[in-house]
Amino acid sequence: MGNDQLKKNAITGGKGGTGKSTVAILFANQLVKERKKVFLVDCDVECPNDYLLLGQKIKKPTERIYAQFPKLIKKKCKKCGLCAKTCRSNAIFQAPGKYPVFIKDLCSACGACWIVCPYGAIKPKKEETGKIFVNKIKNNFWLVTGLTKAGLEETGPVVTKVKEFALDFAKKNKADYILFDTAPGIHCPVVSALIDCDTAFCVTEPTPMGAADLNLILDLCRKLKVPAKVILNQADLGDKRKIFPIIKKYKTKIEKEIPYSRKLVEAYSEGKLLDFNL
Amino acid sequence: MKNKKTKLVVASGKGGVGKSMLTSALAMLFGRSQKIVAVDCDADAPNLGIWLGGIRKWDKTIPVVASARPEINYQKCDGCGLCAKKCNFSAIKMVKGKPKVNPFLCEGCGACEAICPKKAIKLKPVQNGEIKIKNTKYSFPLVSGQLYPGETGSGKVVDEIKVEAEKFDYNLMLVDSAPGTGCPVTAALRGANFVVLVTEPTPSGFSDLKRVLEVVNYFKIPWGAVINKWDINSKLSKKIENFTKTKFLGKISYDKNIFKAISNLTPILETNLKAKKEIKKIYGQTIKATKNYF
Repeated sequence: MGNDQLKKNAITGGKGGTGKSTVAILFANQLVKERKKVFLVDCDVECPNDYLLLGQKIKKPTERIYAQFPKLIKKKCKKCGLCAKTCRSNAIFQAPGKYPVFIKDLCSACGACWIVCPYGAIKPKKEETGKIFVNKIKNNFWLVTGLTKAGLEETGPVVTKVKEFALDFAKKNKADYILFDTAPGIHCPVVSALIDCDTAFCVTEPTPMGAADLNLILDLCRKLKVPAKVILNQADLGDKRKIFPIIKKYKTKIEKEIPYSRKLVEAYSEGKLLDFNL
Repeated sequence: MKNKKTKLVVASGKGGVGKSMLTSALAMLFGRSQKIVAVDCDADAPNLGIWLGGIRKWDKTIPVVASARPEINYQKCDGCGLCAKKCNFSAIKMVKGKPKVNPFLCEGCGACEAICPKKAIKLKPVQNGEIKIKNTKYSFPLVSGQLYPGETGSGKVVDEIKVEAEKFDYNLMLVDSAPGTGCPVTAALRGANFVVLVTEPTPSGFSDLKRVLEVVNYFKIPWGAVINKWDINSKLSKKIENFTKTKFLGKISYDKNIFKAISNLTPILETNLKAKKEIKKIYGQTIKATKNYF
């Protein structure tokens, strides 16, 4: 029996360091206290931190994520250059009359090169791109963490895989809530995390930077058709008035204001967020 | 340092630790004695202009067409589903026997175009961002950019920003990177002569510093480290300082007044805050640390 009641929320924000992870954890913990079954998913796969804030360790991955990268079979290659011409990531370099060279740092693992090669000289080779970890925090509270291999370019597909894994896991456990804590910014890993969510909570701060980046993330949410609400962190610092016109523009509202608190900063810096009540 | 084109990148792993604040101040300080160009390579959420007093009107805007999207000719398509099967980004789904592209997941790689046996798919170029240029009041140019929300190719927009910045006559290029370790960050780091890594004394800050270091070391770029808000956890700050050893460039105190200053668009160097002095010291240490590399 599946769980149709599973609510999928994202915690995002555009700007970095506004308190996405803090809000995600406090939110998750609050729901658990209300006797809900909650899965928190750290989709900041480049720099996941939720486990640290929860005083957890990630050691043994529950699952590994793979992608396929090109490998040249020199014997079959006729140096025609079609692969280099097709690659839109500029990840294949070929000097005239020489074998193509694959530049791993630029490769997005899309597979176009082995599809076009007329001689079957490029074979896909499976390589690990990330890991998934599961920690049980306490009763009814799980944490799923995605982590990319350092230096990986395309981190969006890793987020997609982490989400699939977590959604499956949450449904099997008949969870009530799944919370996706996203990376900062608005590019692929954030898009992958936001897609198909019921609500996105955008955490921002009352500064011109917070305002500018809130504008971008709300624009993205609108394009993705994910309803967005705003959480204003460190609400009493800076100048709130910068935020209002943007809230108005996107016809949303400030769901919650979190005032600056030295205690919260300390709890964060000591990995003891669960003891903190909003 | 004269007559040479060198690149200094400010990066961090974790977001919101003070990259743009530090970059803006370093640009203003280096700009006093050298020909510099300041480059905002956080095309996702560009904020360097704000830290330089806010940009009301840019001098120049250049479109970036660095993405592409498939267009399907449904008359030619026979619904074989090969494109959906081969898309490594889960961007094509078969709906009622016909492929449908999710533009938000599409990377514009062209694998679908290459595999289609009916030649029913053609990739069309897409404008995914723009570059913005401003000659600042501090007599150096700022090259910034913006990835359009919902578009892919953040790293490619960063590449284009750097190409545009390269056109300026400069000795030192100061680059403000995006947070994280993914494509926009590697694009910012490529070709760097030195990286200043900013962190904060929290478990997240320390962990993310180590993450971004993996990438910096992979590219074999010499680096230095700055701890921002060091006094929110002086014990952990000391630990990070010890971890970075000789690479340590300095630290900045936590000050709520920085929030107030930037809310009024006052650059940190135009305040009388403690951070100003501390950053000047970091500037001196950076000159010393980069002597051998520049």
